[in-house]
Amino acid sequence: MIARAKKLFCFLCLGLFVFALIGYGEEKKADLYAPVYTKPLSAEPLKGVFSRVLEFPFKLIKWPMDQGIIFTENHRLDKKTKWIYEQALKQGIKPLFGFADVSAIPYYGAELNLLTIARQKEKYPDFFATTTILHCPSVFFNVGSEIGAQKIHGTGFHAKGLFNYDRQEKEPFYGIGPHTSMGDSTSYRMETTQVGARAGYEFSPTIDLVAGFDYKKVNIFNRAHDGKGDIRTIFSGQNIPGIGGDDLLNYSLTLGRDTRDSKDDATCGSYQKFLFQFTDGVNGSPARFFKYQIDMAKYFRLASPRRVLVARLFAEHNEKIDHGNIPFYEMAKLGGAGTNVRDSEALRSFVYNRFYGESALLLNLEYRYTVMEYKEFKVKTAIFSDTGEVFGKIHQFRLKDLRESYGIGLYISYARNTLLNFSVAHGNEGTYFYIKNKLAF
Amino acid sequence: MNMKLKKIKQIRQVLAFVILGVGIFGLMGTAMAQETVKFKESESSFYSDLFDQNIYNEGVNQLDLGRWGRKLFKKELPSKNVNVFDEVPDSGFFTNRQGREKLSLEALEKGYQENAGPDLSKPLQVIAAEQRGIYPRFWVRDARGDEYLLEFDPQGNMELVTGAEIIASRFYYALGYTVPQFTILPIKPEQFLVAPGATTWEDTGFKKKLSQKRFEEYLMILPQNEEGLYRASACKIMKGDYHGIFSFESRRKDDPADLVNHRDRREIRALGIFASWINHYDLRESDTLDISIEENGQVVMKHYLADFIGAFGSTQEGPKDPMLGYEYEVDYGETSKSILALGFREKPWQKKWRLAGEKIQGAPAVGYFTNELFDPARYKTQFPYEAFRLVTRADGFWAAKLLMSFSDEGIRAMVKAGRYRDAKNAEVITKTLIERRDIIARYWFSRANPLDGFSFSGGKLSFKDLAVEYGMASKEGTVYHLEVMSEGKKEKIAQLETKELDFDIRSEWIPANGEVRILLRVARASAKTLSPAVTILLNATGVQGIRHED
Repeated sequence: MIARAKKLFCFLCLGLFVFALIGYGEEKKADLYAPVYTKPLSAEPLKGVFSRVLEFPFKLIKWPMDQGIIFTENHRLDKKTKWIYEQALKQGIKPLFGFADVSAIPYYGAELNLLTIARQKEKYPDFFATTTILHCPSVFFNVGSEIGAQKIHGTGFHAKGLFNYDRQEKEPFYGIGPHTSMGDSTSYRMETTQVGARAGYEFSPTIDLVAGFDYKKVNIFNRAHDGKGDIRTIFSGQNIPGIGGDDLLNYSLTLGRDTRDSKDDATCGSYQKFLFQFTDGVNGSPARFFKYQIDMAKYFRLASPRRVLVARLFAEHNEKIDHGNIPFYEMAKLGGAGTNVRDSEALRSFVYNRFYGESALLLNLEYRYTVMEYKEFKVKTAIFSDTGEVFGKIHQFRLKDLRESYGIGLYISYARNTLLNFSVAHGNEGTYFYIKNKLAF
Repeated sequence: MNMKLKKIKQIRQVLAFVILGVGIFGLMGTAMAQETVKFKESESSFYSDLFDQNIYNEGVNQLDLGRWGRKLFKKELPSKNVNVFDEVPDSGFFTNRQGREKLSLEALEKGYQENAGPDLSKPLQVIAAEQRGIYPRFWVRDARGDEYLLEFDPQGNMELVTGAEIIASRFYYALGYTVPQFTILPIKPEQFLVAPGATTWEDTGFKKKLSQKRFEEYLMILPQNEEGLYRASACKIMKGDYHGIFSFESRRKDDPADLVNHRDRREIRALGIFASWINHYDLRESDTLDISIEENGQVVMKHYLADFIGAFGSTQEGPKDPMLGYEYEVDYGETSKSILALGFREKPWQKKWRLAGEKIQGAPAVGYFTNELFDPARYKTQFPYEAFRLVTRADGFWAAKLLMSFSDEGIRAMVKAGRYRDAKNAEVITKTLIERRDIIARYWFSRANPLDGFSFSGGKLSFKDLAVEYGMASKEGTVYHLEVMSEGKKEKIAQLETKELDFDIRSEWIPANGEVRILLRVARASAKTLSPAVTILLNATGVQGIRHED
């Protein structure tokens, strides 16, 4: 019994010893994740004093920006704006925004689809009736209407009637011909009222032939501006045809072909436009001339849709007939970004409307490449060169009179619609910056 | 004498008042201190995050002279919340789970769970909805009164979004981050009931009453499986007070426990590495949550990661776009390179996309998730958080070590939580993750000092070479260099070399009441230079400190 008790006691002692050993071993094992630091944690600024001082002015902007953005997102103002825009389109109202060529002043307006507004579009799907109103403060005001039909009786025939009133407040003018001077800068105010009709046939989705007839009344108002003289004073010794305004009848024929994959953000294909127009002055207007115009561009993909080389040729010649004249505002014009259809063509290191001439030749070469893309959002960079000149008769074309522009652009687009076009061009008359929401071609 | 007594009495009275005053002030102070843990709302949104990170910070960081100094002199900014053993102690941001002790396969698959998911014994009450793009998401309340956010898959990509969200939550939880509970919820249309007063944010931007008809229209957009079930990922709405988001940059000044700027927290820096592992490109501040809860009688802040639908091959609208993970939302560097290269530079993602035939090769449930041209050094989340850029070699090693603690089976278990109908899809994701884990770890083990598991006993300092252990470096030709420095790193006492994973530490090197500093470096046959050092602090009782070189 004693022996058993002794054995039990020994076992107990051994057990306690082993237990103590294990316990000792466990105590020795350090907790690798314990919050024991070389030096106590303390709050420290993110940046040094000097850096914080440098940042301070920007911090003043950050807070309201952040709050504004958060408010916008919390209240879904971005989505609401998009919805309102889409609803306006559905109701037949298309808001229009952009930047005038003459300056970086934004314009705004709307295109009203009258059939949609009158809830008649579904009933007459091939008919259209639109009114457009555009306004750019101190630059222009434009209101126009078109009414017509597409695919008449299911054929390729189409026809429309149009009315347009356009008031340009400050059209620059530097004289006529290739040797004018920037120093002779002046401007005129022009008011144009136009009534016309177009009829044509669409041979295929890419080829269209259109015949047109217009009556156009042009009033020119000369004025001094920005400390510069009146157009009649500056060019007092020169004959500027059409300076008193005109009543014109235009007869035109246009053949167009367009195989581009997108009108605003083409990566392949080409377009060609040939215009022939006869203009006859009425109500005492001496204007009488033919207009020949070629505008064509080819978009070459350089092994990838991300790299596109665009070559564009624009040529215009206006030929006086029967001792008539060509009003200066109807002449070929070069200069500016060339993003507005009715304005002067893209010679980007020269101001808008810099060159007026009976004829013009222009070659644009532009290499566009995508530098960032995310879903349908794209940023492209462009390197371009514009070479062109205005001249009188065709034999008066001189290679030495060619004017050149070089530049770069940054184009931001979404779903193949250009949202912003930042361009800078340099030539022998200086460097010009542009902000637009369209591309020149 | 009387005057003297009177004066003493006055002094006593004043003293009594002072003591009473101090007592009252102290009591008030304690009461106030208990009340002062009031957390401010820290708001953020996608666009504010975009503005802050892509525009503001990218700009003002250029005005940070310290940053320029570090760049110029190639100095690293070490993480400030690591302990003496070069580890990250537990906090409201991070809890050592897999790092501390390998989790079981069951635990890995289960992730963070408070319950088994929404209680379907009664129809789920739809209390709110939101339409994002065309797809809706719903906030529901179940029979138990718990609330959940339900996210669904896009049409044609059943299991893509829901699978990604569930699996990613398992990964983040196992790694150590705080995440809400996520469960897969197969559900029939009749198991929903629109609650009275329910509202919806339409994609038009207007908030409207959610009618049964509108709810049914939403359901019609969502894909159903052959049994007519919708599949949702159910995120449990956590209990507690919500205080907006947490910054990846600065600390929360109203939280007394939050002392280190988040940019300098190792676990926040390493988020960029973990995001690259699970391809969580849209890991962003605006998808985090700060929730205060009461824990052991104290109010503490828990910092949650909360939205994972952009993980693996998924995005909310469908498979990932090719550039995601390769470029920031607005990437000045990549864009500048492309501008200068005149468009003739093919970006890695463009090459990958071209090689894939400009088609997503993965199954609809997997999306775009492959390892071709994956570079752990160049992985980019949606926004350029400075914290992710500041990752040092020590931070990278810590993250890689944690990654490698997940076995292939462990990864498989977490992917299993995605409940893919076709086992092949789970296997594709698992295989990609295993490969990617190894790619990331190999990168960091080659850049940092990969030695770990230090112990000192019987006069021997032993350690593990994780690069060799995981088969990422050859033991052949590997030599370990040891330098013994006197206390305070004043002079070199000894220099040793060995091919073995231990060194004999002579007792005379260790001062009686002090520590000896030991610098260990690795020389590989394939490398021309020695690895960065790892510093070990030793005293007679054992390892007192570990620090990998940044």
